[in-house]
Amino acid sequence: MTDESTTTDSATGDFISRQVIVASENGLHARPAGRLAQEAQSFESAITLVHQDQEADAKSILDILTLAAEPGHVLELRATGADAEEALTRLEQLFKNKFEG
Amino acid sequence: MADAIITGIPVATGIAIGKAYFVNRNHMAHLPRQTVAAALVPDEIVRLHEAFATVESELTVIREQVPEELKSHGSLIDTHLMMLKDPKLSKTAEGYITSLGLNAAWALEKAVADQEAAFDAIHDQYIRERMQDVRVVADRVQTKLMGVETDLTAISGRAIIMAHDLTPADTVELQVDKIMAFATVRGGKTSHTGIMARSLAIPALVGVDKLEDSVRDGDLVIIDGLAGKIIVNPTESELEDYNERAAKFETYSRKIKRQCHLPAETFDGSRVQVLSNIELVEEVAAVLDNGGEGVGLYRTEYAYLNRTELPTEEELTEKYIDLASIMYPRKVVFRTLDLGSDKFIASFGELNEANPAMGLRAIRFCLKNPQLFKTQLRAILRASAYGNVSMMFPMISGVKEVRQAKAWLAQAKAELRREGLDYDPNMPVGTMIELPAAVMIADFLAHEVDFFSIGTNDLIQYSIGVDRTNRHVSYLYQPLHPATLRAIKLVVDAAHQAGIEVSLCGEVASDPFCVPILLGMGIDSISMTPQAIPGIKRIIRQINMHDCRILLKDVLECRTVSRINNLVMDNIFKHFPEEVSFFSSLLENDELPS
Repeated sequence: MTDESTTTDSATGDFISRQVIVASENGLHARPAGRLAQEAQSFESAITLVHQDQEADAKSILDILTLAAEPGHVLELRATGADAEEALTRLEQLFKNKFEG
Repeated sequence: MADAIITGIPVATGIAIGKAYFVNRNHMAHLPRQTVAAALVPDEIVRLHEAFATVESELTVIREQVPEELKSHGSLIDTHLMMLKDPKLSKTAEGYITSLGLNAAWALEKAVADQEAAFDAIHDQYIRERMQDVRVVADRVQTKLMGVETDLTAISGRAIIMAHDLTPADTVELQVDKIMAFATVRGGKTSHTGIMARSLAIPALVGVDKLEDSVRDGDLVIIDGLAGKIIVNPTESELEDYNERAAKFETYSRKIKRQCHLPAETFDGSRVQVLSNIELVEEVAAVLDNGGEGVGLYRTEYAYLNRTELPTEEELTEKYIDLASIMYPRKVVFRTLDLGSDKFIASFGELNEANPAMGLRAIRFCLKNPQLFKTQLRAILRASAYGNVSMMFPMISGVKEVRQAKAWLAQAKAELRREGLDYDPNMPVGTMIELPAAVMIADFLAHEVDFFSIGTNDLIQYSIGVDRTNRHVSYLYQPLHPATLRAIKLVVDAAHQAGIEVSLCGEVASDPFCVPILLGMGIDSISMTPQAIPGIKRIIRQINMHDCRILLKDVLECRTVSRINNLVMDNIFKHFPEEVSFFSSLLENDELPS
């Protein structure tokens, strides 16, 4: 699995969104989920992670875990708020780096 | 007389004297369930958040104290911290206080139940198991709310931790500087308790069946991690005796630890490599601390156990590279999967064999499941690009098995080459010698491989035909049985005849009384638990190879185990009077009829 991820900016309603691919070896397990939540918490914007028809609060490790996202799954990040753009850029980077950086 | 003397399996050596402290994890049974008056709801919410905050600062402190080597403990606590800070738990609990007027501890319990329902709906076993972590976090907060001090961090003074079982989550939160020893009912030699105790260099006993019946909270206990005994409420004279022994052992341990980085070289200049057996990558710190010159046996089963899905090649590769590169330039010998029999992989199910010790296990199991085998071979090969890696096959009974295993290895190499992935094309490949059949054809096997490693624990069991965990016959399990000694000699000679090296891993290697005999045979390296290394190196540094050869010659002429034991004892008394007082427990079994 390479860390390719597609980016599609789209302004739907009042949130912006991007698509990311889960590239970490075990999917969104505890460590990556924890890193993701930690980063998300540093932004003011409300951020959600959408997987198929399920939505999770990206600031909640427990919520992220319930997505049970596996390697190769495509997820959508949605953010709304003052630092939404910045938040998505950072979180997208995290997905690309397989949560190492 | 003491109130009681009970026994267990020593998994970390040493002597400790202190107060018994039972870790009681059953406080959930009396979780208070009350409703609070509307007027008090805001106060209850404040209490909830304060409890979360207190636990967060406690966990943060614990996190900072986790040594760098225990990476997995660290990231476990990180996960706990993230769950604690997760607004979901606290907000849901807050909601129950507001809407239903529940007390904070009960409200949190309901929030945990909600989370459990959410996790239960998920197919992924791993995610479902994370509920344990949520539980640990919630327990801590509830304990705070109930005004009870958290069990493990409340320890004051010199405590000996006793428990039915200790989980990794329990041990990471222990205030390690206050704990003198562990004793648990459950657990085996490779249990988490043992690994933790050894890395803290404190004594530990597991499998203490009578622990909960014989010891009460606050009892004065002596933990003898040399003999595997717990003395409950000892008499004055027992206490005095043990105080003296503990002090002597302490001095002795410090002395040998200081010298552990010196080479294992006999007086007359013969070198033998002293390596270590490990099960977890985290144990390398202990290997290096204790003067280990490499890893002579890396048991690779752990990554496959206690889980439902097989580990992926990437997961294994990452782990193996960590190990190979940390140890470099020292060598690491990977033993391929030794599963089946008593340990089995969940996804393959229990085999239901009438006689698992002689069943589908180790290399047999791998050759039957080539996909699983090849995944591991590829991971080991990929790690070989990053260090001084060797590999060996367990339970080899004949030449054909070695050739089959090597054919899969060749195929794995060809695949990696095609894929452009690096590996060491000259990685040494060896075989374990654990079956009498392998001993008898050691000369043939020597032409198939680059080295031998004698696994004495199994070899003794298979050659004497005795299960050493069966107490009716365990007295027959004799490391110094003439047959064992002849077998080892035969293998060493066959290896050297063919110009290959031979190593020995098994408890014999860490038995100070047996080591001189092994040296006499000309063994090239011995591999043992990290904590045994300083003592064994000290023995080696104080003997002459010449004397070892004479001892071996005498020993090989003895017809009974008791005569051999007497010779060995005489030798030890003559050369190592200091060691005798600490390790005499090792000889206790030998007093039995033979």
